[in-house]
Amino acid sequence: MTTSLVTAPPPADADPGAGNRAPKRRRAEPSDLPAGSKRRRFPTAPWLLLAPSIIILGVMVGYPLVRLAINSFQKYGKAQIFGAPPEWIGLDNYMSTLGDAEFWAVAGRSFGLAAVLVVLTMGIGILLAVMMTKLNKFFRLLMSVGLLLAWAMPPLSATIVWGWIVDTKYGLLNYVLNWLTQSDAFTGHSWLIDPMSFFAVLTVIITWQSIPFVAFVVYAGLTQVPEEVLEAAQLDGAGGPKRFFLIVMPYLKSILLVTTILQVIWDLRVFTQVYALQGMGGISSQTDVFGTYIYHLGNSNLGVAGAVSFIMVAMMLLISIYYVRKTVKEEEV
Amino acid sequence: MRKLSLAALGTVAVIALAGCAGSGGGSTSDSSAEVRVWLVGTDTPDAARDYLKKTFEKENPGSTLVIEEQQWTGLVDKYTTALSGSDAPDVVEIGNTQAAAFTSAGAFTDLTDKFDDLGGDDLLPGFVEAGTYDKKFFAAPYYSGARVVFYTPQIASAGVPTTLDEYVANGEAMHSADSTVSGIYAPGRDWYNVLPYVWENGGFVAEQDGDTWKAGFSSAGGIKGLTQMQTVYEKASAAPKDGDETNAQVPFCEGKVGYLSAPSWFAGSLATAADDPTAPGCPDTFGKDATAFALPGMTEGKAAAAFAGGSNIAIPTKAKHQDLAYDALKILVSPEYQKIMAENGLIPGLVSAASALPDDAVTKAAAEAAAASKLTPAAPKWADVEASNVLQDSFVKIAQGGDVDQIAKELDAKIEEILNS
Repeated sequence: MTTSLVTAPPPADADPGAGNRAPKRRRAEPSDLPAGSKRRRFPTAPWLLLAPSIIILGVMVGYPLVRLAINSFQKYGKAQIFGAPPEWIGLDNYMSTLGDAEFWAVAGRSFGLAAVLVVLTMGIGILLAVMMTKLNKFFRLLMSVGLLLAWAMPPLSATIVWGWIVDTKYGLLNYVLNWLTQSDAFTGHSWLIDPMSFFAVLTVIITWQSIPFVAFVVYAGLTQVPEEVLEAAQLDGAGGPKRFFLIVMPYLKSILLVTTILQVIWDLRVFTQVYALQGMGGISSQTDVFGTYIYHLGNSNLGVAGAVSFIMVAMMLLISIYYVRKTVKEEEV
Repeated sequence: MRKLSLAALGTVAVIALAGCAGSGGGSTSDSSAEVRVWLVGTDTPDAARDYLKKTFEKENPGSTLVIEEQQWTGLVDKYTTALSGSDAPDVVEIGNTQAAAFTSAGAFTDLTDKFDDLGGDDLLPGFVEAGTYDKKFFAAPYYSGARVVFYTPQIASAGVPTTLDEYVANGEAMHSADSTVSGIYAPGRDWYNVLPYVWENGGFVAEQDGDTWKAGFSSAGGIKGLTQMQTVYEKASAAPKDGDETNAQVPFCEGKVGYLSAPSWFAGSLATAADDPTAPGCPDTFGKDATAFALPGMTEGKAAAAFAGGSNIAIPTKAKHQDLAYDALKILVSPEYQKIMAENGLIPGLVSAASALPDDAVTKAAAEAAAASKLTPAAPKWADVEASNVLQDSFVKIAQGGDVDQIAKELDAKIEEILNS
């Protein structure tokens, strides 16, 4: 009930935009109408403009995707890459993948990691965004710069630097912990050898880099919440938390939904950070997620790697379809 | 008017597309071509690189030769994509244990009828074998490097052990005297250095039985070797349990390493100036009196069977300039070039060039180790075993104190699965 009441303003807010678009369309129509017969003519101009992106997408994404699909039904190893004719084996790659305990372990790890990452990123991101609205201009600028730098750093470089921080022998972290505890307990402590510890480090690295995006987007959304509504609620006696959860959050709902979906997708297909960190320590078979698992499979068996990729996409679709449908419904209201 | 704008739009679109697709391809005639040589790692000395470039460009006026340095890490993946694509390099260096993956897949040009032209029986026999598949010769020997044990008397005061057991005992003694010192430097991912323990205790990596491969880490000898290895990890080494063998000169130069088993060219890393910006050594401190011995075996006076590393060179089937590539490859195995390699402590791919090897302790130890050295299984899919990280993962688990029997069984199952697939 409250939600529908409160969500009412955004359409009103969005209306001017829609109103702007509608007259344009209406203005365009009269000029087309007299031409009558020309109306059904092939819309050359839009297609010409679209052509380059369609061609590039087709070549860069479409063709590899088709090849991947074909490969996933074939026995496709190194000899086939160099020209030997592949052998069709039907659904064998899919069946062997689904019956492989390692695949399910990888799936569990990926979804677990993604869940933790999304919750942390969204939670901390929102908190930081709220903090930015409360800060004065100087500190807000300082924070924006800090967030931007984290966001702008290439994931590979970031992971390498973090890897040095947690290095077993010469890492800063062990040094500081030794100094804080005034002991030798952390000398030679490996942060990556234990899978749980590996994922803790990984979580820090990825969260650190994805928070800025959430913080900025949510901050932008927060500045759009009309002051008057908040003021009215305050006069009616709504306290801080109540105002935040009953007024601000509903305003941000669509923004939060979109960012959450994006985070789920990004966090499920994370590759760079895991791969780079595996190179610095740990046991790769215990720390593989979808991305690195497929990559490791792909160096000897493209067929199975393709099958795993499609199963992963199917799983991701199943999960995100709920959110996507929900967003679509929201937009229709 | 309308037509004009449409035409303009089309032009813009085409230009945009061209902008994205441009700067590719461009065929070059063979007389003035750029020949790309892929060398791996920093092992090839600069003097040899200069000689290759100068000699090639003198013999082939108008053509240029560029050396593009690759990384050992992930090399099989990289070559799989690069050599099957249309932009393949002209000459490639490949690890001797990885060569079979490409010779068996038809990725290299057949050099069988050029065998005598390249040096014939003077080519290093074990490496000719590594570059041969199905009786055809694909990849020429480039260099070999046996693993020897480096030490400095400043740390390893016990000196040269005579048996493998004594070597381990000395390592344990050094580590228990000072827990920050690795009596034997043994990072968990350094799988090459596990092999001597397995071989010396009677184990094997994998053997062919009919048309299937059988892995031997869980054989009685394999278990014995891995158990001894676990003792080294736990009682003699302070190296990171999930670390790898790269940059071992760092702890060595800190004076934290007793014995360090490394390829003979590691002497060069130690001799690099201490203020070198990329990989500083320590020629004035712990590297000053560093010397080496061949890892001792089970019986006194005999060197252990250690892993022989090294490289082959080949021409990818998809290389554009096959003739020029062959010219470059011929320089790489020429006596003059191989002598430069030998002078820098690398065991040359030509047996006759070995006379140019420096006359020092490291080289003598390397020759002794090379005589007893062994190779990894000559299975076409062995490179996939290496690339799958299963060896590194298993040894890290052993270094962590895991159950040797179970880890060895799982490792063998995995190796057999890959080799027999």
